[in-house]
Amino acid sequence: MENFTNETIDTTQLPKFEEVQFTVLHSNYWKVTLISLFVLFLIMGLGIGLVLFFNEELLQFQMEIIVAYFVMLVLVVLFSRISFNKKGFAFRNHDVLFRHGIIATNTLVIPYNRVQHVALHEGLVSRFFGLAKIEIFTAGGSSSDIEIPGIAKEQAESIKQLLMGKIQKEL
Amino acid sequence: MGNDFSQPQRQSIIGIFVMFVYSLQGYAKALGPILVIWIIKSNELNKSYLLAGTLAVFAVIGVISYFKYLNFTFYIDPENDEFVISEGIFNKTKTAIQLYKIQQVNINQSFIQRLVGVYELAVDTAGTNKKEGDIKAISHELALDLKARLLENKKKRIVDDLDIDQIQISSEKQVDADVPFIKIGFLSLLKIGITSNYVKSFFVLLAFFLTLSDHIKQITGRDVLRDENIEDYVDKSQLFYAFLILFVIFFLAVIVLNLVKTVFKYFDYKITRQKGSLLISFGLLNTKSTIVKPEKVQITTVKQNYFQKKMNVLELKIKQANGGKKEEHKSAIEIPGCDKLEKDAILKLLFQKIPENGVMLKPNFRKLGFSVFLTIGLPLLGFYFVRDFVLTQMPAIDYLVVIFVVFIGLIQFFKFKNNRLFINNDFIILQSGAWDIRNEIIEPGKIQAITVSQLFWHKNINIGSLTLHTAGGNIAFQLGNFTAIKQYVNLWLYEIETSDSNWM
Repeated sequence: MENFTNETIDTTQLPKFEEVQFTVLHSNYWKVTLISLFVLFLIMGLGIGLVLFFNEELLQFQMEIIVAYFVMLVLVVLFSRISFNKKGFAFRNHDVLFRHGIIATNTLVIPYNRVQHVALHEGLVSRFFGLAKIEIFTAGGSSSDIEIPGIAKEQAESIKQLLMGKIQKEL
Repeated sequence: MGNDFSQPQRQSIIGIFVMFVYSLQGYAKALGPILVIWIIKSNELNKSYLLAGTLAVFAVIGVISYFKYLNFTFYIDPENDEFVISEGIFNKTKTAIQLYKIQQVNINQSFIQRLVGVYELAVDTAGTNKKEGDIKAISHELALDLKARLLENKKKRIVDDLDIDQIQISSEKQVDADVPFIKIGFLSLLKIGITSNYVKSFFVLLAFFLTLSDHIKQITGRDVLRDENIEDYVDKSQLFYAFLILFVIFFLAVIVLNLVKTVFKYFDYKITRQKGSLLISFGLLNTKSTIVKPEKVQITTVKQNYFQKKMNVLELKIKQANGGKKEEHKSAIEIPGCDKLEKDAILKLLFQKIPENGVMLKPNFRKLGFSVFLTIGLPLLGFYFVRDFVLTQMPAIDYLVVIFVVFIGLIQFFKFKNNRLFINNDFIILQSGAWDIRNEIIEPGKIQAITVSQLFWHKNINIGSLTLHTAGGNIAFQLGNFTAIKQYVNLWLYEIETSDSNWM
């Protein structure tokens, strides 16, 4: 007990989470996003095409539907690009930070000693580009889980190892 | 302990069958409507085509199941002490769970699994409702073995915990003897019964009357709710009084309903102190009892409205971290009708001290503006478009709209006025509500994760939002001073990361 001190913490001297430099996602992940969107819109386009083919009453709105389709395509691609640019992650000594959002900037922070388990997910398209997604789970429900997509496979593996090591040490 | 789990291994080979049936069930559920159409149309279709199609589907699902089986492996990594499950054919997922994080290992057997004599092993960690690891087909012997291996560390920990508990018990025994029970008296229940849940009971009653009138209409063929009918019974000049009386009767009915419900549910509410935990039992017809362990408590809510304040009663709500059991997940423990002293006693037991408010953060006025826009602006805009149409049906609609605007406006104003975040060294208290004022109390050590968020047009005026995630739910405070929020986030992160506080 003789070594025990209890000094006032100077809150201005604490490490600031808002000044952390975020690592952006791998540039190949943008290609993955584009391919997934392309497939999605291809399926949607085929569906619309089929409906138009069989339903002649809708055929007179052909022009409007096509315009709406492409406006939506452009908007979704635009928002995906903004979202891609904004996504970033950072691993500090004691916690992991993830930044995301489109109109808002959300920063989610999970201290390592609150991590429950970690998973590594490789989607079909991502695997083709050698990318993986790291999922970090806490006990706080799905809104407090972090999913960092677009990390090179080897880097993801080493991050997972780092996390597991950190979790263990924090016990 | 004859089995070696350190090498990745597959499930029982018969697991293909289990996966096949499960996949089939999944597809049948997803494609149900199409299947129904198929079956209806099957009379017109060629029977041999149908058979071939069914066989093809079965074959495809069979192949998928086979690959699922091939790609599903699990093992215990002895180096890192983690349980690793890899799964997926095209989309691969590798889940790693630290052994000491495992709360429960359940071995189950469904009907299909019983048919082929395998078991299901589900690994559960704290917090989330879903199972983290799920092995669908494993022999009983292997399952028991794996369970034992997975829980090895846990046992060690439990033994440690027990030791601590016993020490605490012996030192607390004397204390226990002179701690009085808290008993919620009949009077307190009456007070709570007549002052709470107006809105809920109002809608329950409204629904009840609407269905009742609907039934009467069906039986007698007359619409009771139409004005003409009421005018048949009452003089037109007395119509206003009739409505007033009806309203009073309705209001009284709400109160009586509330009272009866509260008394039935919480009759003979007793709180006993036992080994540092709270033992709660209540109920008139069926007695319920629960245990509240202070270390498991995540969010404590104190709820009180104006009348209750005058009568010195309040409601307490305690949310605990669930140990993976489904039924515990959403249910909070409610303590109705304690007075201020009893509340303080309970809070002292849960937190060792009485939470004080500390530094106050207020939301920016834009929060009021935004909620007014959502709840008044948008409905008014909608009304603007349909006004001409509605006016012909109901000439008095404008007055109703004015009443609506004033009522909602008042609610939003009080909501804004009461929305505060109090922060001191040991507690974070979120105050909210318009009529029923809630104070949600959490300890910084219970925080699992923190989200800070800001809209880009709020950057210049320096306001932003904060969400604290705990194992018992989230606490969110919107549009506060962003500099202060960031500063506190840094402080909480520092506290969480430097101490090894036990959050459950």
